[in-house]
Amino acid sequence: MTQQVLNAIFIGSIYALFAVGYTLVFGVLDVLNLAHSAVFMLGAVITYSLVALHGMPFLPAAVIAILVCGLLGLLIEFVALRPLRRRNAPPISALISTIGLALIFVAIVEQATPGTLFSWLWQDGANSVRFPAGTVPNPTYHLAGLTIEGTKLGILVTSVVLMLVLGYVIRFTQIGRALRAVAENRRAATLLGINVDRIFASTLFLSSALGGLAGLLFGLAISDIGPYIGRDQVELKGLAVIVLGGMGSIPGAVLGGYLLGLIEVLAFVRFGSNVEAGVAFAALFLVLVLRPQGLFGARLRERL
Amino acid sequence: MRSAARGITIALALALAACGGTTSTGGGTASYQGKTIQLGAILSLTGAGGVYGPSSKKGADLAVETINNSGGVNGAKLALDTRDDGSDKAQSAQVAQTLIQQGNLLALLGPTLSNSAVAVHPLAESFKIPILAVSTTGIHIVPDCNFPKTDPCRYVFRDSLGEETAIPTNIKIYAAKAHPKTGVLMVANDDKFSKDGGTIVTKTVDQYGITLLDTIQFSKTTADFATPVTQALSKKPEVIFITSLGGIPAKIMIEARKQGFTGQFLGGNGFNTAVVSKQAGTAGQGAESGSAWYLDNTFPSNAEFVKAYRAKYSSDPDQFAAQGYAAILILADAAKRANLTFSDVAGDRSKLRDAMETVNIQTPLGPFQFTSAHDVKQTVWVILMDGKGGFNLLASVNPS
Repeated sequence: MTQQVLNAIFIGSIYALFAVGYTLVFGVLDVLNLAHSAVFMLGAVITYSLVALHGMPFLPAAVIAILVCGLLGLLIEFVALRPLRRRNAPPISALISTIGLALIFVAIVEQATPGTLFSWLWQDGANSVRFPAGTVPNPTYHLAGLTIEGTKLGILVTSVVLMLVLGYVIRFTQIGRALRAVAENRRAATLLGINVDRIFASTLFLSSALGGLAGLLFGLAISDIGPYIGRDQVELKGLAVIVLGGMGSIPGAVLGGYLLGLIEVLAFVRFGSNVEAGVAFAALFLVLVLRPQGLFGARLRERL
Repeated sequence: MRSAARGITIALALALAACGGTTSTGGGTASYQGKTIQLGAILSLTGAGGVYGPSSKKGADLAVETINNSGGVNGAKLALDTRDDGSDKAQSAQVAQTLIQQGNLLALLGPTLSNSAVAVHPLAESFKIPILAVSTTGIHIVPDCNFPKTDPCRYVFRDSLGEETAIPTNIKIYAAKAHPKTGVLMVANDDKFSKDGGTIVTKTVDQYGITLLDTIQFSKTTADFATPVTQALSKKPEVIFITSLGGIPAKIMIEARKQGFTGQFLGGNGFNTAVVSKQAGTAGQGAESGSAWYLDNTFPSNAEFVKAYRAKYSSDPDQFAAQGYAAILILADAAKRANLTFSDVAGDRSKLRDAMETVNIQTPLGPFQFTSAHDVKQTVWVILMDGKGGFNLLASVNPS
């Protein structure tokens, strides 16, 4: 049982890290960036590509991948979001345009095989792969019948530290204040001299860099890197997490991530695998009935 | 060099095909000079089945090219129109419909996944167009494609070894060797292939004295297998049976080894690609499964296939490529003996169907025939993952 709680904490960290990026964009821009799961996938794929195809050590590869994912965030902003904003399109349009970008990102990877246009990025088509053995040392500890892996411990620490840093930045720095001002009221922020477009671009950069990081950590810990890891394994759960935590709330996304991990694992252990997803989502539903704005959501009233 | 090698392959395949047809319909000499035999394929090139479909396509393309370069089928060229179904059942049926409506296709290959076959095969049956499954291994594929209706489908064939044969053969071989007493089954519950495999394991273990301590079901979209694996290991099984698709068997093996499992992994077709063996790495070493094909078999029809495949694609073929390749050889052999008219498509399809029932040729899978139920009748190769992305042959079991 203790092992299962540990399992829940590790998977919860990944859900949380993924959801933080998701919720950040929603909080500031009021749109759901559904390309986030594709950026998550590319974080893992780019790191794998640099390590396995181009012989780079893991750490620099990871840093480059995170930066590239951040730049992809800018691409999302400039291609899928800004043109629509300029025309005052409803948020649903942005939803669709980001889905389109996600499809393109996934297709680029799943179609890449040796000899094709993107073979420098990926050569395994729809297959999943894992990092070559020994890419990152992964000491595994067996304590009192428990298995604790180095990489998973690393993920836990990375997630917690990053979320604390993000919390600090948003609460106490100039850019954080600007971010919150834009989230609060776009027009008022403009009148106060805040460059709203620039804030949007930075938000997308930050969110996507976090998504890419979550993806590469996922690939490392779960030994699964392939074109569908974002879409199949975290996209819906990430959405559930941010709804649970309160749309746009960062502490909510963190708590929601761990909570979902825990509910899933406990449901699996207690009720068996058939109903795992059912129980997890029933629990979410219950939370929303009791607290429709989510655990940390405060903005629902204003939004209505 | 390359074309010479290919020439030899083809000459061999055709020679073998020619002397194989013991109950040939008496055709075989009719000249199809200047004609084209149009074939269609519905494969999963993307999505979950994207692990298998591209291999099937490569194998089939290679066979088409090889046959065409050495004179075709009685002079006729083969043409293969391959469409992607995105691993989606509805899309698969739609693609099949489109191909059938073209009206000029003599036969179809596919679809890749058993899940999609449930939609596509009854369609082909109702349009009376022969369809040859090249990778579906679930139950109720042949002959009862309209399951739960039990009347046999006349136009549906498969050249892929069913899990109903592969899994029990593998368990039998392992039980005779190691006499395990306990096992846990890990099965994806949202996919036909995986569920069928699980059903077969559950039905089989009793007769070899193995007690299933638990059946752990999970979704094929499970991200982290730590939880199901912890659950499985808490029962302390000697054997873990895995019936699942894509990279999942590899992920389970890696996780189980991390958590200290030292027992045996047994599985079915889900283990049989180099991709899975490579992803599992050392964690998969010794994982045992029944396979339709083995890379290093040295009989000529396989050796030539492997050589030609490596020359064309600069990589090793896998089971799915071998089955795709074999499918074209089977259709070519049947077409050759069917006395096709090339004017009456419906009549030609019916003649081809009849000729397929008496196929008896050498393929990379070994000597190949269909059973009266249109299922494959071939040797089962029991293989072990070698920990380095490949497989070693443990045993071969001839069809009874």
